Amino acid sequence: MTEQDNIQDKDEIKYVRTTSAFDCGGRCPLKFHVKDGKIIRVEGDDLVDEENQLRACPKCRAIRQEIYHPERLLYPLKRVGPKGEGKFKRISWDEALDEIAAKLIEVKEKYGNEAIFLPTGGGFLSAYHFPVVNYIRLFTHFGGFSTHHGNVSSEGAVWATQTQYGSPFVGHGREDMLNSKLIILWGWDPARMNSGTDALYNLVKAHEKGAKVVSINPRYSDTDVIVADQWIPIIPGTDVAMMAAMANVIVKENLHNQAFLDKYTVGFDKFKEYVIGQEDGVEKTPEWAEKICSVPAETIRDLAREYATTKPAALMDCQGPARSAMGGQYNRGAMTLSAMTGNVGRKGGAACGGLMGIPTAHMFFGPFIVPPGRNPVEENHPNRVSVRGSLDVELRLRTRVHTNVMFDQIIEGKEGGYLYDIKFGWFACNNFLNQLGNTNRNAEALKKLDYMVCVDLFITATARYADIVLPATSMAERSDLTRPWPSGPYFGHMNKAIEPIGECKHDITIAEELAAKLGLEKFRHYEEDKTVKKLWRNTVDIKKHVKDYNKYKEDGIWRVETDEPYVAFKKQIEDLENNPFKTPSGKIEIFSERVAKINNPNLPPIPKYLKTWEDRNDPLIKKYPLQMISPHPKNRVHSELYHVEWLKEIDPHRCWINSIDAELRGIKSGDLIYVHNDRGIISIEAWVTERIIPGVIAIHEGTWYTPDEEGIDRGGCVNTLTKNAYAPCGAAALKTCLVQASKEKPEVK
Amino acid sequence: MQVGFYFDQTRCTGCGACMVACKDWNDVPAGPEFWMKILYNEEGKIPNVFVSYLVRPCYHCEDPVCIPVCPVNAITKREEDGIVIVDSDKCVGNEECDTKCLKACPYDSPQFGPEKGAKMRKCTFCFDRHLENKIPVCVQTCRPRALYAGNLDELKAKYGEIHEADNFIYSERTKPAIIFKPKQK
Repeated sequence: MTEQDNIQDKDEIKYVRTTSAFDCGGRCPLKFHVKDGKIIRVEGDDLVDEENQLRACPKCRAIRQEIYHPERLLYPLKRVGPKGEGKFKRISWDEALDEIAAKLIEVKEKYGNEAIFLPTGGGFLSAYHFPVVNYIRLFTHFGGFSTHHGNVSSEGAVWATQTQYGSPFVGHGREDMLNSKLIILWGWDPARMNSGTDALYNLVKAHEKGAKVVSINPRYSDTDVIVADQWIPIIPGTDVAMMAAMANVIVKENLHNQAFLDKYTVGFDKFKEYVIGQEDGVEKTPEWAEKICSVPAETIRDLAREYATTKPAALMDCQGPARSAMGGQYNRGAMTLSAMTGNVGRKGGAACGGLMGIPTAHMFFGPFIVPPGRNPVEENHPNRVSVRGSLDVELRLRTRVHTNVMFDQIIEGKEGGYLYDIKFGWFACNNFLNQLGNTNRNAEALKKLDYMVCVDLFITATARYADIVLPATSMAERSDLTRPWPSGPYFGHMNKAIEPIGECKHDITIAEELAAKLGLEKFRHYEEDKTVKKLWRNTVDIKKHVKDYNKYKEDGIWRVETDEPYVAFKKQIEDLENNPFKTPSGKIEIFSERVAKINNPNLPPIPKYLKTWEDRNDPLIKKYPLQMISPHPKNRVHSELYHVEWLKEIDPHRCWINSIDAELRGIKSGDLIYVHNDRGIISIEAWVTERIIPGVIAIHEGTWYTPDEEGIDRGGCVNTLTKNAYAPCGAAALKTCLVQASKEKPEVK
Repeated sequence: MQVGFYFDQTRCTGCGACMVACKDWNDVPAGPEFWMKILYNEEGKIPNVFVSYLVRPCYHCEDPVCIPVCPVNAITKREEDGIVIVDSDKCVGNEECDTKCLKACPYDSPQFGPEKGAKMRKCTFCFDRHLENKIPVCVQTCRPRALYAGNLDELKAKYGEIHEADNFIYSERTKPAIIFKPKQK
């Protein structure tokens, strides 16, 4: 290369600033270099000084390969082979929409609107294009549809924070970690999972400023590598045993903040009775916990003392460990420890609760393009009851199926005790076959559907079962408003950089065109640029902060200036009388009367350690002696970006296995191994490491289910092994899973 | 003047954003050609595990050994800034010279695509950005700010002159233009 070769002709390059709309938590500023209508480079934030830039992770840095991937869908497809085989032929939009409309009308007439199933999907979270909202609007106009309840990511944490605080806004501004003296990462790994774009860097700075960092995690995470002064490996699903033992030490040694508990909480005495053994005759000592969670009693004792006496201290729990069979207990346990030590509402502390959201610019305040309307299928359902304020997930399941058993409903229907007989499925912006438990069974369900439409950028693992696949536009082809979901505060503005590729259409356009085919005359048409600007004008919190729309649009970001980092519940702690917590008692509910009324021993009113199916006490452990966890990948957003080669090569799909477990099985790094249980078999490369506790393996979620002719999943999708089940609090129990690993191919059933 | 890097090894999580951004900026296809790599080291036994990452671009050595071994003088070191540049058009390709530059380099920085006859390419210190007074894209990408670049003397004045890091051997022969905050075991 000569010195001149690599110098672009600047005059021909247009710069477009935008953000992604992924389900990743970050909305990192991106700067596309566009030449002759094509994106040729992607840069990150360069609008502010290096220290304050919101720097994007590898996923968006590689976005060009997603947008221009040779396998990206360019026109509508109709399935020509058996379901799942992946054989399709090109058809026109007219043919596709005519066929879909005819089928919808047929299903509606024959089975009613409830037979039309519309799952949600988090693949594109924004104000205008938000695909699911557009299809909800469409099917609402068409007379309704059935759907599901339960957020796969965060249901455990949502339930726990509603129970204890009555609010999901439990986060602090990330800079507030610099005020902490002790930071406990309980499962939290912001190096891999974007819990806010600036989370990792602020954690690094807090550590360098002198905060001690302790990590409690089955793995020595990427975050731990740079900040953990101490790593405490723990058996998955046993967090609350360790938390109860820490509480025991704190109470026995009188290190708890009784004044705080008296003033701001209710029910601590009940929890105290549990931890000192008055409730069930079992004292929750560190020795008791050690037998369950494998953490040495002395380590638990030391950490309890350190947490109770170092002020302020931030216990950072998250959502992952709550994605388990007794899900929400983990977040409730963490919140209770935080209250016991007076770290709620305090600078440098942390309220816990796993959600980490701050109210300013939070996704929960996201504007939706137009009210999608009320779904007649649910509005008119005889089972319908008010769920306002209720913590009973079963009430919410009276008109909707739980997310993690949505495919069971398709298979079993009313005869199997489910709500609806599903005939038609519309899957947009999700890859649920792949991302929910028991993928082999999910595939059987999709084979059983009368008719299925999928809208996506690729023929995903789910789309392989569709009758019609429609090509959607990507983030580069759209203008929109975005917002990060846990932190900031800042607002994002997406700007269209290129024209739609091939025959790709926006989801909102697909909804409009299908509405016309269905004869829905009142279905309104919206113009992208005009509506996006209107959404800025009409959305209270954006309008409040974003004063100059043109600058906001041009920069692709509007940073909200704050005097100091946001601290959750600061107002409540400063003046409880005038700012009560949004719970029935107005206080932090360590004991919840609302939960007590549900009267389910597996959903106790105080946080408790509970044994579960497929934990280490389950007799099944003899057959399947390894627990499997499935953390977020760093090179995909769940199953999105799976095709991108630049991302594949930075982190090959591998099974983390400790040397002790590997030696027992004759497994070496690089070996192709089989991981299996009664639900399925996957093949995957082994990676032998000391960075995971013995008895546990870790496989990152989101690679695509690819069964071979024998039914072995060669794509290594974790959910081929996980269970289609949910916790009593509603959490999808995807992290509770027993498996075996072997070099030899297991017998295929 | 000599440009160089400062790498804070205590901050790198090995996320790979620098590798991806490098491939995007320089349009390098997926495959074996990496102008920026991250090396991994793991030692110890649970729970006392030591892990380090190390960035591996071209270190733009003060005495580059790749230059004299090139049979066609395709590699040069710029006097004004010390950037080591290869003229890929001049390079005779990996088969004809048997990758002499790669074999000479103690850090495997010269890179070749997978195809027969592939010409050598490598980190240019983002030469086009450099001419516009911009930092290399790998540096601009780093979320925990583990990587910095600039005038080596200025970096040394600011960060010290440590040439050692975990998983790295300083070559007295080539004098790589990188200083470190090393990760301690």
